[in-house]
Amino acid sequence: MTRASRRVVLPLLVFVALLLVWEVAVPALRIQQIVLPAPSGVARTMIDTAGPILFHARYTLQTTLIGFGAAVVAGLVLGFAIGAFPAVNDALYPLLVGFNSIPKAAMVPLLVMWFGIGAVPAALTAFLLAFFPIAVNVAVGLATLEPELADVLRVLGASRWQIFRKVGVPRTMPLFFASLKVAISSAFVGSVISETVASNAGIGYLMAVAASDFNTRLAFAGLFVLAALGVALYGLFAAVERRMTSWAYTE
Amino acid sequence: MSIDAAISLRDVAFDYVANGRVTRAVEGVSLEVPRGATVAFVGASGCGKSTLLKLVSGLLRTTSGTVLVDGQRVTGPLKHVGMAFQNPVLLPWRSVLDNVLLPLEILRENRDPRTPERALWTEKARALLATVGLGGAEHRQPRELSGGMRQRVSLCRALIHEPALLLLDEPFAALDAFTREEMWELHQRLRLHREFTGVLVTHDLREAVFLAQRIYVMGTNPGRIAHVHEVAFPAPRTLARIDGAEAIELIRSMREQIRPTRETAA
Repeated sequence: MTRASRRVVLPLLVFVALLLVWEVAVPALRIQQIVLPAPSGVARTMIDTAGPILFHARYTLQTTLIGFGAAVVAGLVLGFAIGAFPAVNDALYPLLVGFNSIPKAAMVPLLVMWFGIGAVPAALTAFLLAFFPIAVNVAVGLATLEPELADVLRVLGASRWQIFRKVGVPRTMPLFFASLKVAISSAFVGSVISETVASNAGIGYLMAVAASDFNTRLAFAGLFVLAALGVALYGLFAAVERRMTSWAYTE
Repeated sequence: MSIDAAISLRDVAFDYVANGRVTRAVEGVSLEVPRGATVAFVGASGCGKSTLLKLVSGLLRTTSGTVLVDGQRVTGPLKHVGMAFQNPVLLPWRSVLDNVLLPLEILRENRDPRTPERALWTEKARALLATVGLGGAEHRQPRELSGGMRQRVSLCRALIHEPALLLLDEPFAALDAFTREEMWELHQRLRLHREFTGVLVTHDLREAVFLAQRIYVMGTNPGRIAHVHEVAFPAPRTLARIDGAEAIELIRSMREQIRPTRETAA
């Protein structure tokens, strides 16, 4: 088996093995289904409620992507401004670090107060969690430009704008794309947190409702869906990263 | 001053400010570099060699004194200079060819009248790469190249726009001894193909003797020109020549001149 295929097959095997252990352990240890349902039971619930689950999954995906999209735009603008202009860096960076240290879950009640229950606070929470890693990575990429390279271009009459375009932007791209896979996961966390607290739709809402009904199976079904979505989104952006900036990875 | 000086410095001084303290990096430097010649600056670390290079290119402004290039006073970065450093700083997302063409892209965007016609670019770059032994490597990526090959690409990038001035800041310092000597011979070969005035900053005294027609030995605290040596060996120079008695004596005397400044600096 090649290294690449082993990297796919081994984690899958471990995952299946864990499910099997779980499946056997629940009846063997006489654990009540309401505390911990067996995976087969969860799977059955997933099939039975496939319609609603799909609806809520789509809703969560949408709010996540809206928040993430806004975070990409804001992160790029902010990152470029901070990386290109030392004055902007000095003014904003400490504030950004301070802002980033606020647990974003604590902001959800405020967002709900302002925008009501629903998709808006969810998308905003996703945005708030996602834009920071993008902005920081873009800023770092620009700020760490080799001074020699800038000198080579400046003695050709290159303007700051030309150096930014020809060198700054392309060399920042690997960091930008690397930040996307972090940011999409953060956005996902943000929207689900917000849905759990205040929403009428989304997997977070579904799980909150399931929990209040003591429907443990449905709650687990939601958890599995979240895991699958999270892995898929991460994988998607990891693939985008490899594709867009292959020069930075193949040694 | 002679009319044909490509570079002339008159009583140049430069202060830099670090942590609120003003330090004089170079002082009282006056010199002239004839067109087409290569001069070398050697000296202990911190003697202001690299600062002088940046003053000539206009990347730094003199605190006092004047720098003239082609008789024009330098007040900001020059616009048509070739530069290469110890670190080749290639753009890893561009092929070898596209790295070499970068200066031409800048010149064209800025509508520099010295920009060659677009149709000739690739041909020029190929020819130049072939002179440095990189024929056929045009479409390779920088990461696939050895240190010596990257440095050659960096040299080609410094020369593609046929600058009248080539500034080299320890360009071969990171290479192994054999590759470095190959690069000296290569540099000499390039000079046969086209005329440019060269300024070389180096720690390597043999390198200075091989490449320069004149060597300035710099003293420290503040950086200044302490000694000047004319190197009269005819072109083309050979490694045998710089390993000969005359060159060894020159290198020995320069080493003697640099040593005391090192001790005061330490």
